[in-house]
Amino acid sequence: MDDDEVPYVCQRLRLYYSDLIEAAAPPDVAQDNKTVPLTLICGFLGAGKSTLLKYILTERHGYRIAVIMNEFSDTADIEAKSIGLSDSGGAAGELAEEYLELANGCLCCSIKDPGLASIEKLMKKKGSFDYILLETTGLADPSSLAPVFWQNSEVSDIYLDGVVCVVDGVFGLQQLRGDSSSAEEPGLSCRQVAGADVVLVNKTDIAKAADLDALEGLIAKVNPTAAVHRTTRGHLDLAHVLNLAAYTSRPHVHDHDHDHGDAATHHDDLHGVSSVILPVPILSPDRAERLERWLQTLLWENKLPDGSAVEVLRCKGVWGTVEGATCVLQGVRSLYEITRDEQRGWDGGNGKLVLIGRGVGAVECIPLE
Amino acid sequence: MTQTCQSSSCLNGNPASTLQCPKCDKLGIKSYFCTQECFKASWAVHKAVHSKPDTVEEGTYNPFPSYRFSGTLRPAYPLSPRRQVPAHIPRPDYVATGRPTSESKPHARTIQVLDEEQQQRLRVACKMAREVLDLTAAHIRPGITTDELDAICHAAIIERNAYPSPLNYREYPKSFCTSVNEVICHGIPDQRKLVEGDIINLDVSLYYNGMHSDLNATYPVGKIDEESKKLIRTSRASLDAAIAICKPGTLVRDVGKAIEPVAKANGCSVVRAFVGHGTHIYFHCAPDIPHYAKNKGVGVMKAGMAFTIEPMINLGGNWEEIHWPDNWTATTIDGRRSAQFEETLLITEDGVEVLTAGAPLNLD
Repeated sequence: MDDDEVPYVCQRLRLYYSDLIEAAAPPDVAQDNKTVPLTLICGFLGAGKSTLLKYILTERHGYRIAVIMNEFSDTADIEAKSIGLSDSGGAAGELAEEYLELANGCLCCSIKDPGLASIEKLMKKKGSFDYILLETTGLADPSSLAPVFWQNSEVSDIYLDGVVCVVDGVFGLQQLRGDSSSAEEPGLSCRQVAGADVVLVNKTDIAKAADLDALEGLIAKVNPTAAVHRTTRGHLDLAHVLNLAAYTSRPHVHDHDHDHGDAATHHDDLHGVSSVILPVPILSPDRAERLERWLQTLLWENKLPDGSAVEVLRCKGVWGTVEGATCVLQGVRSLYEITRDEQRGWDGGNGKLVLIGRGVGAVECIPLE
Repeated sequence: MTQTCQSSSCLNGNPASTLQCPKCDKLGIKSYFCTQECFKASWAVHKAVHSKPDTVEEGTYNPFPSYRFSGTLRPAYPLSPRRQVPAHIPRPDYVATGRPTSESKPHARTIQVLDEEQQQRLRVACKMAREVLDLTAAHIRPGITTDELDAICHAAIIERNAYPSPLNYREYPKSFCTSVNEVICHGIPDQRKLVEGDIINLDVSLYYNGMHSDLNATYPVGKIDEESKKLIRTSRASLDAAIAICKPGTLVRDVGKAIEPVAKANGCSVVRAFVGHGTHIYFHCAPDIPHYAKNKGVGVMKAGMAFTIEPMINLGGNWEEIHWPDNWTATTIDGRRSAQFEETLLITEDGVEVLTAGAPLNLD
């Protein structure tokens, strides 16, 4: 499979949702006013993603959650596929399985993702969900899916809430370093961590404490912006995977053991993927424009001012302006958005801009002059 | 999806509304009004919607009888048999399988800069498409079917030794798109006769000498009401406003900023799901150009880039779309009308060249 092809991951999807039986009444049009957060769940092979998802589905949490499990690897084949319906009818939270029928050619010239369109169609039939979790296969690169869903927020009630990566507490260190015989391509593990907003380190009940610490240390280097939680058999506080607002809220940057001051903080790269935390001074309008143009070259042309190649997988930032506004940067792949908040004010001092990706090690500073 | 009051003379500024006209509801049409007073005030105009849905022509049928159409337009099947293209005319790569796989490869997903030779070939294909659109549009009149228009368009294209790009693109069955009244885009030519008072968009794309060109325009059928005239003028004006900002250095994401204010100022909304697109070697390629403001569009315009801008403008506040079960026809969710205009543009050293340019809009 060509890694560079834009994947149509939602070719064949199985949809599970809790509380199916309750939703007997056809939905009201007025109900459609609600926006619905969608979380992408990725993870290393064998890390325990499915267990986590089953836990979310069966736990009595009172939410209507749709879990979409992608059983087949992403493909650029865009033919419509429709699959049957089966009803498992369990105890706590009825589990119903439904396959999504996919739209066909009508989505040409449309930026609406076909999978998303099918989910919307289903919600119209079955009523709105409180959350949607979309599982990507162990081989998927979340940073290639996140932009699709993030951009689709502009045309849909479904918006990208965040990306969760499940890491194997026992084998994760080896998988990240790439020195295990696991089937997964080592660089891909790093990319999955790089694109995540939340990392769940699973199987902590059977992993060695020292390994877990080393693993978390490595994760923080590749991605200083992700929140890391330890879990056992996928048990965790749902607040860690739902309502992340990872693409709208002010990002948190963990650079605990570095006093960055005015210099960039680099981390060694792991299979080409690394991160850099850059200080951002309080910006005048001119400098703000230069920052944005530099960012555009980085994200849209994949190159640094000196011409060297770069591939930014995720970027986040927060800084202040001379007018006293707070600016928040969110970006994934070539998409980015800078939002200004005049009300918030800025409490002085340098802001931060984090780049995660390939080749970011060469970035020393933001050219603001 | 907020439903807003659909009255064009709303007394309260078209706020979000949940009250529905009961007659419409019985007919399966969704109509929203903010208050009983507003509803009463617009009754004289509104009640026309309750008249019998477009009767399907003698010998034709509606293939989706249980579908809840948002307006009064109905498909009139059967579609005519697939039209032939003479063997000597070169086909685009997707015609054999119906699948444009090359469009998902990196080359098509990177904004290309055309050299002089490519630009010239594109220029020729665009001029040709404009000719075909104009001559097809000259046949618009009450009583002609959209299928007859398709036959005319198809004949004109193959006569010029070009291929009608839509034909079998993702298995699209006809040679161009005819979008009537509440259809936003991708209407499939069928046996329905045009009726005086309709508006119709014709969208022509052709492939000639290795280049795709793409343009569309909305036309009146006989005499149309003032509201439809306003809609058509607003759509054209919004496209012109976007073209005016196109030059090297303009951000793709700013195109929507030029379009949306024009629509809003005229009580209309901008459709979000469908975007302008690169068109040259590929029918649809990078950049994707949203028509609404505040978007995350990628790219900066540079000389040599070629793409379309094609705003779809709906009367009222609802920008959303729904699809007929034919998987192509997109309509407004409230049955109100939608209009569109499209040109293929080439960015030049200091501005933009409208490759598909034609005569200015004149509705009088």
